[in-house]
Amino acid sequence: MTRWGMVIDTDRCTGCGACVVACHAENNIQTVGEDEASKGRAMHWLRIERRYEGVFPDVKVRFMPVLCQHCQEAPCEPVCPVYATYRNPEGLNAMVYSRCIGTRYCANNCPYTVRFFNWHAGEWPEPLDRQLNPDVSVRPVGVMEKCTFCVQRIQDAKSRAKDEERQVRDGEIETACSQSCPARTIVFGDLHDPDSRVSQLARSARAFHLLEDLGTEPSVIYLRGGE
Amino acid sequence: MEVTTSAGVSRSELEAPAFEEEAIFRPVAGMRRGLVVGSLITGALAGLLFFAWGYQIRNDIGVAGINRPVFWGFYIANFVFWIGISHAGTLISAILRVTSAEWRRPVTRCAEAITVFALTIGGLFPLIHLGRPWLFWFMVPVPNNRGLWPNFRSPLVWDMMAILTYLTGSTLYLLLPMLPDLAILRDRAAAENPLGFRARLYRVLALGWRGTPQQWHSLERGIRVMAVLIIPVAVSVHTIVSWDFAMTLQPMWHSTIFGPYFVVGAIYSGIAVLMVAMYVLRRGLGLEDYLNDRVFNNLGLLFVTFAVIWGYFTFAEHLTVWYGNEPSEMIVFWQRVSGDYAMIFWAMLIFNVVIPLSVLPFQWGRRPLATCLVGLGVLVGMWIERFLIVVGTLRFPRLDFTVGTYQPTWVEVAILVGSFGMFAFMYFLFVQFVPIVSIWEVREGKHLSSHGAERAAPVRRLIGEEA
Amino acid sequence: MAGAIAWTHAVFTSPSDAQVALRQLSEAGIVASDIEVRSSVPHEGLHPIGASPRTRVPLMAVLGGLVGGTGAFLLTSLSSLAYPLPTGAMPIVPGPPTGIITFEGLAIGAMLFTASTVLYEGRVLTRPSPPGKLDRYLAAGNIVVSVRCTQAPPPGWASTAIVTESQSAEPSP
Repeated sequence: MTRWGMVIDTDRCTGCGACVVACHAENNIQTVGEDEASKGRAMHWLRIERRYEGVFPDVKVRFMPVLCQHCQEAPCEPVCPVYATYRNPEGLNAMVYSRCIGTRYCANNCPYTVRFFNWHAGEWPEPLDRQLNPDVSVRPVGVMEKCTFCVQRIQDAKSRAKDEERQVRDGEIETACSQSCPARTIVFGDLHDPDSRVSQLARSARAFHLLEDLGTEPSVIYLRGGE
Repeated sequence: MEVTTSAGVSRSELEAPAFEEEAIFRPVAGMRRGLVVGSLITGALAGLLFFAWGYQIRNDIGVAGINRPVFWGFYIANFVFWIGISHAGTLISAILRVTSAEWRRPVTRCAEAITVFALTIGGLFPLIHLGRPWLFWFMVPVPNNRGLWPNFRSPLVWDMMAILTYLTGSTLYLLLPMLPDLAILRDRAAAENPLGFRARLYRVLALGWRGTPQQWHSLERGIRVMAVLIIPVAVSVHTIVSWDFAMTLQPMWHSTIFGPYFVVGAIYSGIAVLMVAMYVLRRGLGLEDYLNDRVFNNLGLLFVTFAVIWGYFTFAEHLTVWYGNEPSEMIVFWQRVSGDYAMIFWAMLIFNVVIPLSVLPFQWGRRPLATCLVGLGVLVGMWIERFLIVVGTLRFPRLDFTVGTYQPTWVEVAILVGSFGMFAFMYFLFVQFVPIVSIWEVREGKHLSSHGAERAAPVRRLIGEEA
Repeated sequence: MAGAIAWTHAVFTSPSDAQVALRQLSEAGIVASDIEVRSSVPHEGLHPIGASPRTRVPLMAVLGGLVGGTGAFLLTSLSSLAYPLPTGAMPIVPGPPTGIITFEGLAIGAMLFTASTVLYEGRVLTRPSPPGKLDRYLAAGNIVVSVRCTQAPPPGWASTAIVTESQSAEPSP
């Protein structure tokens, strides 16, 4: 059985933010505007967390791209009163927009703060509406959303593979963030396939999970930065 | 039709038998200007709640101040606050009935009314805070062709079941003992003005209550059973509300003490509201004979007991967090004790612990006005406690890159103010149609005390001997 | 007055007076179904002799609890099984949540059955009786004893009453 996972090598990340922009473009994420962003309502499914270490002039900056960890034991799932989020058989934490009634309980129980809420409906005045990705729904107001591991690309690859009567090849599916990173920081693939690139990287000695002690069993593996 | 009198009964006594409880009857005997004006003003405030809510539905939930990571704000704090207040009635009516405490008699109905109205208002807030409130029925377990059921693992679904149960139970517990009083009003109105509005209204409201021994027996047994049943329900309701927080992994929410802590806090805030309501009723309706010093004194003793218990739980919770020194929890802790929320945190402790414990242990501190003022302070303090729990934690998530702020907007403030208005409005209406002091219970109390020797001991009544 | 039912009513100010009258009525052989006692305050032991009121409220409360609890248990477990979505590695039929919902169902079942039994046993949901002359006494806290005159009530049974009334109308004053 497939288990989708991701490896992020923080040693390679330059903090350029191309992945964030790509994610916005791929997933029809609304740009909330300056006022709303100042209230803390910016929607970046993937964010680059920047930490400074040391004192000038010996300052180091560390970048960590944080996205939905697709936890195998996700704390966000059991608290939704209407089953709007659940774990699908391929290990993704799925989000069902049409079911969500907006209690925002899942967001409160996410220890990584990776869930986002549509406080206002997104607006794409002409001709910006032409940039919308037709494979991804535009969420209405009052609905939670978060990174889906570009499930539309996964579905696309799977259906092509089915048409061609073969398995999905490793590296065939690239999420928007992994595709756009100039430093090849993000690698996506099947963690249950021992030969996939993502599995090989996950076995590295530098591997760790975010907030591992909480026992959420995330599907995103980070590789520790070197000195 | 002959009506004969026995010797010794005067003609005037025959025409108009004396009603001892004039003060109780006066508000329901006819329109009174003060009450009507009060109803209009509080009705306008209640309208403010619905206006602000309508504005929010029309202009998206984003008009409120909640954001990421503070996904819950005023609305959830208000929800917990109002559900907490609803524990007043249960404590007074049910526990004091079960323990046969006679001094509860004048207080039961006004306390039960507080419960029902507070629950109604508290139950609105989960709807107000939803992003898509028109789809709230997704949470209701009815068979449908989509094959969708609610997720019973979610504490919000437990909330819905518990509040529904408690609201049903409290309403029944308020309405059943109201029947004999409605019958008294019906009979009195029929005697005075048989064709008037009130006679017709009470003839409908009193249903078929005649006061026969069978009706009394069933009613008294039913009330006793409901009193016993409603106590665990009340405890479970606020425990489940607290589990909305305790079932998460958030720092200073994931605490096992939340269940009992919230129940104690709820009863505490419930007694506070009861003291304020009783004082206002006493002064406004002239009920000094019924809501008398003895009742205030006894409730004041209960009040100070809960002040101590609440203080104990708060200390235990904060000590455990401080001693554990876990980084994500300590950020929230220090923000409360010495950071952004220090002023309101210490104000909360002053209102909830310092003032009650300096005033209530003394005889003078349990006089009506003193307990009312302490009660107002406790209401403010308990609201601050709910706010600190909800927003104080959410602002500081574990991954601290996303630390947040929270600024309530006019919509949230209007809904908070409007909720108080709505509570007062429902109370004003109630007081004008139903006697706020339970007439039959007060009369029964007088009979029991004057015929004390003939009565069965209270213990036998509890075990439930047949008459 | 052929065919008309005659009732005699008497108003008593204290339950002991009313009980004396009831005893006299019972000794005169008047059956309990021909006597009605009404009061605006409950008095222990005030009822026609031999017709002490009984109630099934505790039994119905237990029954209601069983019905409500079972219903809630089945609702939770069957709907979870019918729609088995894995959430957060919790079991499909979650133990403690099922227990919580079952408890609430138990409580609401017991309370609804209790209230229904009270209303049923007292025949409370019937058409309200029309107003009568002695309503004001009832409302003021007195006790009204009514006797259907299929046979003559013993003379002097209402000697301690403050008011008596006879009418050939419906049973309620």
